[in-house]
Order: sequence, then C-alpha cells, then structure tokens
Amino acid sequence: MRPSQPATATGPVTATGPITTTDSAIGSATATATGAAATAGSPAEQGLAGLLRPYAWSFAGVVILQVIGAVAGLAPLLAVVELGRALLAPGPIDHGHVWSVVIAGAAGLFVRLVFTAASAGTGHVLDGRVQLAFRRRLAARLGRVPIGWFSRRRTGELAKVVGQDVSAVHPFIAHAPGELVSAFVVPLVSLVYLFTVDWRLTLITLIPVVLAVALVPLLMLPARTREQEEFDAAMGRIAGSVVEFVQGIAVVKAFGGSGRAHRAFLSAADDFVATFSRWVRGVSAVAAGMQLALSPPFVLLVVLAGGAALITTGGMAPADLLPFPLLGLGLTAPVAALGHGFDDMQAARRAVGRIRDVLAVRSLPEPAHPVAPRGHRVELRGVRFGYRADHEVLRGIDLVLEPGTVTAVVGPSGSGKSTLVRLLPRFFDPSHGSVTMGGVDLREIGSRDLYRTVSFVFQDVRLLRASVADNIALAVPYADRDDVIRAARLANVHDRILELPRGYETVIGEEAGLSGGEAQRISIARALLADTPVLVLDEATAFADPQTEQAVRRALATLEGDRTVLVIAHRLETVADADTVVVLENGEIVERGGPAELLAGNGRFAAFWRSHRSALADEAGTETGAGTETGAGTETGTETETETETETETDDGVSRGGEPR
Amino acid sequence: MIRMLLRVLGPEYARTLRRTVILMTITATAEGLSYALLVPVLRALLGDTPADAGPWLVAFGAAVAGYAVLRYVSDLSGMRVGTTMLRGMYHRLGEHLARLPIGWYGAGRVGEVSVMAGQGLLRAMSIMAHLLAPFIAALVTPLTIVVVMLAFDWRLGLAALAAAPVVAVIQIRTARSTAAADAEGHERDKEATGRVVEFLQAQPVLRAGGRSGERFELLDDSLRELRRASRRTVLATLPGAVGLTLTVQAVFTVVLALGAYLALGGSIGAAEVLTILVLAARCADPLLSLSDIGGKLRGARSELDRLDTVLRAEPLPEPREPVRPVRHDLEFASVTFRHGGRTVIDDLSLSVPQGQRLAVVGPSGAGKSTLLQLLARFHDVDAGAVRVGGVDVRAVSTEVLMAQIAIVFQDVYLFDGTIEENVRLGRPGASEAEVRAAATAARLEEVIGRLPGGWAADVGEGGALLSGGERQRVSIARALLKDAPVVLLDEVTSALDPVNEAAVHDGIERLMAGRTVVMVAHRMRTVRRADRVVFLDGGRIVEEGGHDELLRRGGRYAGFWEISASAMRTG
Ligand SMILES: Nc1ncnc2c1ncn2[C@@H]1O[C@H](COP(=O)(O)OP(=O)(O)OP(=O)(O)O)[C@@H](O)[C@H]1O
Ligand SMILES: Nc1ncnc2c1ncn2[C@@H]1O[C@H](COP(=O)(O)OP(=O)(O)OP(=O)(O)O)[C@@H](O)[C@H]1O
Ligand SMILES: [Mg+2]
Ligand SMILES: [Mg+2]
Repeated sequence: MRPSQPATATGPVTATGPITTTDSAIGSATATATGAAATAGSPAEQGLAGLLRPYAWSFAGVVILQVIGAVAGLAPLLAVVELGRALLAPGPIDHGHVWSVVIAGAAGLFVRLVFTAASAGTGHVLDGRVQLAFRRRLAARLGRVPIGWFSRRRTGELAKVVGQDVSAVHPFIAHAPGELVSAFVVPLVSLVYLFTVDWRLTLITLIPVVLAVALVPLLMLPARTREQEEFDAAMGRIAGSVVEFVQGIAVVKAFGGSGRAHRAFLSAADDFVATFSRWVRGVSAVAAGMQLALSPPFVLLVVLAGGAALITTGGMAPADLLPFPLLGLGLTAPVAALGHGFDDMQAARRAVGRIRDVLAVRSLPEPAHPVAPRGHRVELRGVRFGYRADHEVLRGIDLVLEPGTVTAVVGPSGSGKSTLVRLLPRFFDPSHGSVTMGGVDLREIGSRDLYRTVSFVFQDVRLLRASVADNIALAVPYADRDDVIRAARLANVHDRILELPRGYETVIGEEAGLSGGEAQRISIARALLADTPVLVLDEATAFADPQTEQAVRRALATLEGDRTVLVIAHRLETVADADTVVVLENGEIVERGGPAELLAGNGRFAAFWRSHRSALADEAGTETGAGTETGAGTETGTETETETETETETDDGVSRGGEPR
Repeated sequence: MIRMLLRVLGPEYARTLRRTVILMTITATAEGLSYALLVPVLRALLGDTPADAGPWLVAFGAAVAGYAVLRYVSDLSGMRVGTTMLRGMYHRLGEHLARLPIGWYGAGRVGEVSVMAGQGLLRAMSIMAHLLAPFIAALVTPLTIVVVMLAFDWRLGLAALAAAPVVAVIQIRTARSTAAADAEGHERDKEATGRVVEFLQAQPVLRAGGRSGERFELLDDSLRELRRASRRTVLATLPGAVGLTLTVQAVFTVVLALGAYLALGGSIGAAEVLTILVLAARCADPLLSLSDIGGKLRGARSELDRLDTVLRAEPLPEPREPVRPVRHDLEFASVTFRHGGRTVIDDLSLSVPQGQRLAVVGPSGAGKSTLLQLLARFHDVDAGAVRVGGVDVRAVSTEVLMAQIAIVFQDVYLFDGTIEENVRLGRPGASEAEVRAAATAARLEEVIGRLPGGWAADVGEGGALLSGGERQRVSIARALLKDAPVVLLDEVTSALDPVNEAAVHDGIERLMAGRTVVMVAHRMRTVRRADRVVFLDGGRIVEEGGHDELLRRGGRYAGFWEISASAMRTG
C-alpha cells in the first residue's frame, strides 16, 4: 500500500530523464509486478478522472515545475558545448565569454535542482492525498454494496484493490506526469538545437531511438498481455489465500500434514512465479535488445562513428560534434520512458480497471424519498428469496412480529432461518413479496432509520480489533461508559471484562483473546446497548453454558417497553418462553403457535421437543436403573433429583457467574 | 544485504547469488572502462587528426559489444535468480507460517502476512531482479570513470573524486534517517491492510450497527495514518536526494570551471578538457540515480528484514529425537497454562484411557477449548506435561502428532472451494466409500442432496456460503474422515437443531468406536453419552466422574443442568 521511495531529481545531468539502467525495460518488467505502475494518457484513468479533477491544478503545478527544472538541466551541457566552441575556435580565447558560460551552466544546475526537488516534493504529497481519496472512496463504496456481493469474493483480493492496486497508481501521480512531459519536451528542445547544428548527425543520432521503437510492438504481443493478466490473477489469488491461510491457521495446522491445507497459497504462489517467469522469458530478449539500443555506450558508439565519418569526409566542424555525445543521449529518453512506462501503463490500467470495477458496483438502492416507519411492527408478506436465481431458500413466508412479543423461529439446520433474518437489515431484498416495518416497505425506509430500529446478534460472532468498550458500543459510538457496563452486565460478561488486562480498554485480539462464549456475550451486549425497538438474536447463545443462557434470557425479559424480539435457537429451553413459535422447514413455515400449544399438538415442534425429552428420558432412565419409565415420569425425576441441590448451586453460580448488579 | 538474502533463502542459493553479483560488478566495470576508449576517440576527432579516430572507434565498438554481452547475461541472470528466489521465498514463508504456533497469530497478522506475501516478497525479489545491478552500476561505473579521468589528468580526476566521500556520507546518512520513516510506513501499511480486511469481513456487523453511512473510523484513521507516514517518508528522503544532487552538480560545476581554467591557462589541450567533461557527464548520470535506487533498495532490504524476522519467529520447538506414541491414551500431568499472564489452566491433572470418551463440561471461559488445544499442541504448557500414549507431546514430531488427532473446532473454518474439497482435506487419499461414510455420519448427505451444487457446492471463504449448521457438519465430516485414533470435539453440534444433533452424535459414536474421544459440550444430551465427565471451572477440575454419579452427587455438575431442566419445566 505504501508508495515506493520518492525519487527526487533522478534525471541525469543530461536532464533528459532517466535513461540509466534503472529504467531498463527489464527492470521495469518487475516493476510492473511490484505494482509500481505508472501511466499517463491511457483511456483507463478516465474512469477516475472525476476523482482526480480537484487536483488538476496541483498536477499542472508539478508538471510545470518539473519541465522548467528539466529544461534548465540542459544549461550545463550547452555550457560544455559553448566551452568547446570557444576553446576550439581558432584565434585568441575570449576569457570573459568562457567564464560567463561556466556561470550559466552552474546557474542552470541550480535552477534544475530547486525546481525538480519542488516538483518531486509536491508530487509525493499530492500522491498521498490522491491515494487517500481513492481509498476512502473505495471504502465508502464497499460499505454500500449489497452484502451478497461480498460472499462471492475473496476478502484478500478486495483488500488488494484498496491497498496494492491504489498504490499502483503512485508513480502515475508522483512521477509520471512530470517525467513523461519532460521526457518529451527536453528531447524536443535538444532535437531542435541539434538540427540547427548538423542535421545529418542528428539523423544518425536518432538511429538507436528508431531501433528501440521498432522493438516496442514485440512487447505488446497478445501472449504478453495474456501473461500479464494471468499473473495479476495469480497475485489476486495469493492475496485471497493469504487471508484464508492466516484466519484458518488452526485448520491448516490440524489438517495440514505435508502442506495440504495451505496448498492454495503455495499453488497460487507457484502459478504466479511460473507465469511471471514465462513472461520474463518472453520479454527479456526484446527488452534486452531495447536496453542495448538505448544504452549510453551504444548511443555514443553510433554518434561517434557517425561523427567521425562526417568530420573526415563530410566536412563537419569538430566543434559541432560536441553537442551530440552530450545531448544525443537525451534523445533516447522518450523511448526509454515509453518502454519503461509501457508495462507500467498496462499494469496501472489493469489496477485502475479493478478499482473501477469496485467503484462501479451498484449499491443497494436507497429510497429517493425515505419514509419514516410508523411504529415497529414487522410484517413479512409472501416473501420469497434465493441466493441464486435457480434455488429458492425462502418460499413464501408470511409472518408478523408484533411489538411487545417474542417470536421464536426454530427449524432444521439449513431451513432458511438466518436467511429470513438477513432480510430485516436489507442485506438482501426479497425477490417476491415484501418486508414492512411500521407499515412501510423496507425499501422505502432510509438505511439510517432502519438501523436505528433494528439490532442484531448474528450467528457468526465478529469482534473488531478494538477495545472491548468500542466493540460493545459499535452501534452507539458515543455511548457512555455506564451504559456500556450495564449492557455488559446484562449479557453476563462484565466480570470477565474486568479480569482483562485493561478492563474495558483492552484491545481484543491484541492484548487478550476471548473464548467462544465470551465473544458471543460481547456481541449480545452490543445488541442490548443499541437498545432498538426490534431485536434479532440468531443463535446468540449457542456457545453459552446454561447459566449464561439463562442470564441472557432474563435480561431479555427485563427489557422494558414494547420491544419486538425475534429469536432463533436450537435449544428448546431458549424458545420455551416465547410468545409465538414458528417452525421453518425448507423455506416454508410449517407450524406456528404458542410453545405450550404446539407442544401439546402432534406436529413438527412437538417432534423436536420429543427428541429432546427422550434424551432426558434415556439419561434419567439409566440413572434410576428403570429404563421402562415414561418420558414424563423421568422428566419429573430429574427435576426433583437436582432441585434439592439448587440452592447452594445457585449461590455459587451467582458469585461466579456475575449476576447483573 | 547479500548475507541477509542468503539467510532468508537458505544456503543452497549462495553460489548462484554470488556469481550473479560478481557478474554485475564486472559489467559495471566494463561499462566504465569502455568509456576510457572515448578519450582517444574524442581527442582525435576534436583535435587535428580526425582520421586517427578510426582504429580507436573499432576498439570502442568491440568494447561495447563485450559490454552488451555481459550486460545481457547479467540481466538475465538477475531475473532468473530473482524468480527462483521468489519461488523459494514463497515456499519458505508458506512452510514456516504453517509451523508457527497458534499464539503467533494475533489479530494484526492478517495485515502483516498479506502485505508480506503481496508486495513484500516482490519487492525483496526485485533486489536481485532489477535493483542490485543498477545500484552496482551506479557505484562502480562512475568510480571506474573517475579512475580513467585520474589516469588522464590528475587534477580534474581528483576534483571528481572529491565527490566520492560526500556521496558515501550522504548515502549512509539518508539510510539512517529514512530507516525510521520506512519502518513506520510499513507499520502503517500492515495496520491499514489489516483494517481493510476487517472492514470487509465485518460488513454485516457494521451495517447492522448503522455504521456504513459514515466513515468507519478505525479504517479511516489507519488510511490517514498511512498518508501521514508516506508524507514523512518523503520528508525524510528529500534532504538526502537534494544533498546528493547538490553534491554531484557542485562537483560537475567544479570540474567544468577547473577545466575551463586549465584550458585557458593552456596547461591542457581543449580536446582533452572537452573529453573529460563528456566523461564527467557520464559519471554524473548514474550517481544521480543513486538516491532513487538507493531508496528502493533500502525499501526492499527492510522488506527482507521483515521476512527474516518472521522466518526467525520460533516455531514450536521440534524434538531432536522424535518419539512415535504407540498407544493413544491421553494424560494431563499437573498442567498449568497461561494466556498473557492469566492462568487459564491451573495445575490440572487428568487422564483418559485409550478408547474412552471423556466429556468436558463447564461454564464459558472455563478453559475447555484451551484443554483441547493443548492436546493438539497448539500451545506449549507453562508447567507440567501433556501426554499422548504416554509420550509428552513435545517429544512427538508435529507431523506425527497431527496424524494422531482429528479436531472439530468450536469456530468452524472452511476454505474457499467445494464441499468435497473441504471434506477430503481430512484425508486426501480416502476412497469414495469412506468419504460417503463420513458424510453420512455427519448428516452431511442431507445438505448435499439439498444444495444445488451437491458435492461441488461452493462453501465460500471461511464457509460463508453455507448455513451455520451446514458448515459445522462439513467440519465434522472432515474430522471423521481423518480416521485418527484421538478425536477432539469442541461443541461440535452447537449450531445444529435437536434432530440433526442427535443424528450426528449417533454417527460420531458409530465412527468413533474404539477411539479416544474428548468432547466439550454445553448440552446434557451430548454429555450423557460419555464414559466419564469432568466439570471444569477456572481452569481446574471441580468434579469428575460418571454422568449419573455426578448427577446423584448433586454438586456443581448437577446444578449446571438444573437450569436447563427448570427452563423446560416452565415451558
Ligand atoms: N450467502 C449465501 N449464499 C448462498 N447460499 C447461502 C448463503 N447463505 C446461506 N445459504 C444457503 O441457504 C440455505 C439456508 O441457509 P440459512 O443460513 O438461512 O439456514 P439456517 O436455517 O439459518 O441454518 P442453521 O440453523 O444451520 O444456521 C442453506 O442451504 C445455505 O446453504
Ligand atoms: N488469546 C487469548 N489471550 C488471552 N486469553 C485468552 C485467549 N484465548 C482464550 N483466553 C481466555 O482463556 C480462557 C479459557 O478460554 P477457552 O476458550 O478455553 O474457554 P472455553 O471453556 O472453551 O469457553 P467457551 O465455552 O466460551 O468456549 C477464557 O477466559 C478466555 O478469555
Ligand atoms: Mg443460521
Ligand atoms: Mg470454547
């Protein structure tokens, strides 16, 4: 993500931009891969033109400074030329002229120094600003794209767009405009000058340039382009697999005998290296050819051979030769810049393309005229939804969540419970039917209003690498500490937090880790603190021990007001005191009613209950040694068995478990 | 730097590396020396006998040809070494990361490793591929030219040579002054990358928290810091770059003035002066590029440093003479383990006879998952010993130990790919029938039948495309397929409905017969199947015995279940 080291005043004394080995085509081959890509004038950046527009003046400033500096850099060379003329001229030497030439040269150098340094400095500062703007823009966009869009993408690859790909624009902003412009302006000036000196030798001096240009198309063969795309893709896969590697490290270790689990990483790396070397092999001969054509020894050889021929046979004045070895090297700059910039240009175009792809993702449409919900009665009517068009997960759900009631959704794994819940924050919109809140379709409610009304505990707990307090206060950034503590107490996690090295200030993941159940309780505290009228808990206590589970249940019961609560749970004790139970199966509601009522019936819910009860029955049966007892009988048996000891146990539980207050 | 490269790469690259560096040096010297031939050529051309230039030109042509060949070979060799190096570095990094202890993987590592595997290694590789050669050339070529100048006219040569110490001092000082900015830049970079990953993965939570509209400060701060760091880097580099340019230009001016003075004084011929000035211009070019290449080289080098630091992070020590356990009973002997100063497992002793099933029960945070992790040697104990088959796990090689153990984690993680790939990860060589059997036992067949893709259904990164319970079943099937004598199950059915749960436990029981099993559970119906139960709290065993026995005893364990039982009663 970081820009490479700033290059100040890299131009040689010839002031014609870098033709030194640094910018060799081979060198730039790898520069491409490092993501240090530069471009100018490619059509791709048009997509970002809007983003760059505010900086247009600064860009112009950078370019102007650089050009002035570069042109001034010609002065010392011209000084040498003039010195040559003065010295080689027949007759007495004009001392005054010689010294003024020397002074002019020195002055040129000074101007060059000041201007290029200024240009480089501004360029880099500008670069930092533009990159920040790009990244913010990307983050803002990613914060609005439909959630479903993420699940098909690798986090690492997306992170690479925000990081590496934005950095790839660095040379384009910091170096390219100035360097490219001066790489063309300066040779042009020299060329004009050289033509006035001797047009024949000027043409000869251009031979290396022509040779090099002739090789450029060979760098653009379709095979090369394909290889570049391939290694970009492989780099993307590396980025993706790294995230998996690190986050799935426990699995990597447990199942990683002889590198199986991190094979994805290694094979992505191998692919990358393989494509990369194939590409390098492909371009290296051509690049080396260009390289050679533009290398100072070769250019000097051509110029001097031509010069020798012209002087001996063409009657050129020896003094006229002098500008050519000095300025002639500079003529190769545009080509060097072209060759250098070429694959950079390609790489930057691809990077910009990826950035643009992300920026172009349509966000979930926001209502043009947001309507505020009237109340918070949630109603799903005829809701159908599928993650893929050919596979419906919800098939016609009708469900009303009345304020002041607790609705429990139960059902087999994969039946669509979490999916149902995901429609409420509009992570997805239903394909048919509607979800309304307070009588208003969710699609017409502004996202702010919506999130202020509903809070969630998701099945997948996700804590941020931030302090415990900030994690709990995620939805209420300016919550006071007392409220945070109250929420933590309600979620039965306050005592554990106090044991952390810095209490509520402890940064999770850095200073301390939490167990599965502890993390889950933090996310419950988070939802409780948000204190919204609608609360959705998706298996929020799956990892909790019975005490915690009970404490959380009690906390929910004490929430005052007419809250609408939706609970998903696999433990029947969790749903036992819900007002309504809805049994979801295969995306349809197959049963609904009060828990007691359903239990008395003979439907799906009762069947679930039975399986649970029979487990107890078995256990109690073995305990009493009478396996023939009925379910009901053993259940009672268990109760009495344990009840006698409950007093001491509860006390213990209270002192340990951190009962609220 | 070369030493560092070798350490990172391993000694097998030493010869190639050295050869390449020598080749680069020779090439740079050859370039400088070829310029020596310019002297007679220019002298002839600018002087009175242009025709004398002929033979010298031919010689110069030959030198250029020689240089061209050297350069070609050295460039290619650099590239080749670079790519080999890249491959080597990726593999070393990959292998090493897989061996580092879980404890190493804090929350900030995603960013760090991402940066390293992305630009980091490429930048390190670029040392060989395209930084070292120009760097050597930028140093050696001018020096050679100065030597030529010295041989030619000592006064002008000396003037030019004066630049050398100044350039050296500037290089060294810049290196020092940029090092801090550089390190900070990297720090910010990895922080920002980590934040971006977090931001992306936490989207559901952030949005539901209403935090999508505004800027997410944690991320935005890190992006701003990143910019600030890059600005600081610029500021740190600028003086060096300006200083270098100033020096080189000053020296060039001095040579120019001195040349003019000497020529005016008549102590040196005009042609000679002009030739020297042409040489001086050739000298200045590469020197000026030094600040750029030097900066890049330093950047690449610090990348190498960081790679080295990671590679040097101690993996859990491997035994010198590994023992292969023959039995598979488990034992904790007075084990104490701390997480950052907090005792998580406290002088705990416990043994599980071979083939038995132990259930671990206890309140959240009691240390249950930690217990399993210690068995798998994800961490090393602070005191006492964990033994598998009577052998301390520290005396068993990781490979062997892992082959003994199948684990289902509390927080399931699947790799992006198909369901089948994820299950087969358990044992890649497994037959079709074995995979089927594991899937049936884990109730995965129901999922495969239901999902459109079947076995080939994509699970998404981490398993995000599956429901919680489906994910869990894939990970159970993965562990069942592994067919290891020791099985560790951490709340493996927490996301399953009662019907599936019962079925999965039946399946596990069937496949796990005869294996040593440790399972953590929060639900009684799971626990009662175990041969023995320990009740853990605060890292100590509070109660221990058979399920029924403990229930009868009416202690902590019995009380633990009382709550769920009473809840059911009221329901
Ligand atoms: N992001 C997704 N993309 C595609 N399919 C998905 C996605 N999330 C879930 N599914 C599929 O949709 C179906 C319903 O999933 P959902 O998560 O709603 O189940 P659930 O009832 O919550 O199950 P569980 O109790 O196991 O959590 C499953 O078959 C699942 O594979
Ligand atoms: N990386 C860590 N750094 C510091 N403390 C940790 C870390 N990981 C876990 N702990 C602490 O160690 C204790 C034991 O954790 P462990 O995961 O073993 O609990 P557990 O019994 O499995 O709980 P749960 O039922 O909630 O999963 C907890 O208090 C937890 O906060
Ligand atoms: Mg779910
Ligand atoms: Mg645990």
